[in-house]
Amino acid sequence: MELLLSNLAHGFGVALTLDNLLFALLGALIGTAIGVLPGIGPVATISLLLPITFGQPATTAIIMLAGIYYGAQYGGSTTAILLNLPGEVSSVVTTLEGYKMARNGRAGAALTIAAVGSFFAGSVATVLVAASGPLLTQVALSFGPADYFSLMLLGLIISAVLAQGSILKSIAMVVLGVALGLVGTDVQTGQQRFTFGVPELSDGLGFVSIAMGIFGIGEIILNLERPEARSVMSGKVGSLWLTGHEFKRAVPSVLRGTVVGSVLGILPGGGASLAAFGSYMMERKMSRYRHEFGNGAIEGVAGPESANNAAAQTSFIPLLTLGIPANAVMALMVGALIIQGIQPGPRMVEAQPDLFWGLICSMWIGNLMLLVINLPLIGMWVKLLQVPYKYLYPSILVFCAIGVYSLNNSVFDVYQTLFFGILGYIFSKLRMEAAPLLIGFVLGPMMEEHLRRAMLLSRGDPIVFVERPISATLLALGAIVLAAMLLPGLRAGKDKALAE
Amino acid sequence: MKISAKDLWAGGILMFLAAAGLFINGGFLGLGLEQHTLGTARRMGPGYMPMLVFWLQFGLGLIVFLVGLTGGPDPLERWTKLDFTTLAISVAVGVVIWRVMEAVGYNNNYVQIGAACLVALLILAISPAWRPLGLTLASFAVFALALEPLGLICAIILLCIISAMADREHNPISIAGMTVFLCVLCWFVFIKELDIRVPLWPTIFG
Repeated sequence: MELLLSNLAHGFGVALTLDNLLFALLGALIGTAIGVLPGIGPVATISLLLPITFGQPATTAIIMLAGIYYGAQYGGSTTAILLNLPGEVSSVVTTLEGYKMARNGRAGAALTIAAVGSFFAGSVATVLVAASGPLLTQVALSFGPADYFSLMLLGLIISAVLAQGSILKSIAMVVLGVALGLVGTDVQTGQQRFTFGVPELSDGLGFVSIAMGIFGIGEIILNLERPEARSVMSGKVGSLWLTGHEFKRAVPSVLRGTVVGSVLGILPGGGASLAAFGSYMMERKMSRYRHEFGNGAIEGVAGPESANNAAAQTSFIPLLTLGIPANAVMALMVGALIIQGIQPGPRMVEAQPDLFWGLICSMWIGNLMLLVINLPLIGMWVKLLQVPYKYLYPSILVFCAIGVYSLNNSVFDVYQTLFFGILGYIFSKLRMEAAPLLIGFVLGPMMEEHLRRAMLLSRGDPIVFVERPISATLLALGAIVLAAMLLPGLRAGKDKALAE
Repeated sequence: MKISAKDLWAGGILMFLAAAGLFINGGFLGLGLEQHTLGTARRMGPGYMPMLVFWLQFGLGLIVFLVGLTGGPDPLERWTKLDFTTLAISVAVGVVIWRVMEAVGYNNNYVQIGAACLVALLILAISPAWRPLGLTLASFAVFALALEPLGLICAIILLCIISAMADREHNPISIAGMTVFLCVLCWFVFIKELDIRVPLWPTIFG
């Protein structure tokens, strides 16, 4: 306990330096902005801004990128409530009750409970990260190569199972991601693999190019193809204060949302959107006012909005302790860390205390900032909603193009991004989920390394994966998850949960 | 039979990529492009993991394909004759430009890829259904082509003009305003603040 406090004190010392405060604020502002704007999400934004963070120290860079992720959870609710359009995927369910509340003249109250609930959930989740981080790290340090391999395999399985759409296709996309990760120089022998003699490929395919091409450019093309959904603003925001009755109804939902979100955030493949869906389903079953669902029940805003922000914080736990990204945003964080020369993993807490504790403390500070950014300044974000998409997408393209070029000062990266833009377009037309691919791409090279090391240690005997208790448990878990999804009942439940 | 065309294509693409990967990886009847050493399970060579991964991917692709035979109905969007023709012509022209430029020796800094992409994508944009795809990506290609010889400002202008044509709501005035705004913004952010190393103005004349 004492150690935790002294560590937190150290973290606040790091987070409260002027630079880190400024970049946390910048991240929170950018996050809110892209959260508010429909059609551009945190994955695209973070990949867009990755090159810009190279000049900064690692801690500052990660603090800003994290701010974008949880900031987007705050901003997304604004659009959902006022326009009936989800600003982010994680706010899809907020439209259901939030917009109804706005139609009833309670837009202000909905915005307030979304922000306050998010802040509460974010604070709790931050404490959870701080408390569980060092514990899990201790466990992780006893992991051997075989255990790591199994853990990553489990992560990939869960992330495929929890992705939207067909599980089978998602698993195939994970494998395709791993295959893309093979391109480049083989670490152990130095041989070039799948580079076709292109010198730029000897470091592997560009992580930023893949993310930006598939998520950034692919999304723009799809948005342009759809006739733009223009909704009308639902009148005035109204009073931001909750009535006593509303407050009383919202409190249990916020608490439940925080728990659901924290748990679902840690799961590989989980994250903010899944948490929001989960919490909404739970509220509809458990709330005392469930008959009011569909007519603007405050529980339907309070629960999911708390859950998505809690999950946005706790999804950092597997990354910071095990070095394993739980979702596409965390995969980008791995990319950012590696580019900074930091290998994510259990040694990070010891080796990079500034980064670990500074990030945790800055998360809490960032959540506090977001509360201020979102409530009193709501008018500013409403204005931002009036920027038409026709100005937005060329700006995104320009920033993408310059950003990707400045990675290595090479036009090859720009062409690479273009290629992945085409691929991303094909994927979405064929309903092949791209998020598992990105996770596979990041984990693939690490898995290969651990697999080769484990097999070398066991003298080529694959039994090592079931002999070691940790590895065996993890593999069994993976098998159970896969088997469970083959049961038609569970699968229908998942489809229903994700479809609503 | 209720066919899911999306799944059939998805499975097909996965199998094709896996087969290509296996072929390049080598080891199959001594054929192969790069011929990576397979090694043994104990000492895996550079070709071992690719072999595992691509076989797994091939298998999964096959299952996706087979499931797709009965998983439907889930048809693709309808393609018009124009869609087919522009796609075929654009791919053909792109390949020809790429090959010819490479043969003539015009392959400095991947200019042959950029030129082939640009022309192919512009041809693709003739068909209304392909227009957002074609013009968005063409604007990217033109940026890459223009950046080093013509400088950042010209590259941004070209990108804005081409990408703006993908949305019907733009008119010359809105494009001009947006372009000027973005040029100033990018100059401020990338040149003044971040100081990335890229020419601002054309270098080929000076």
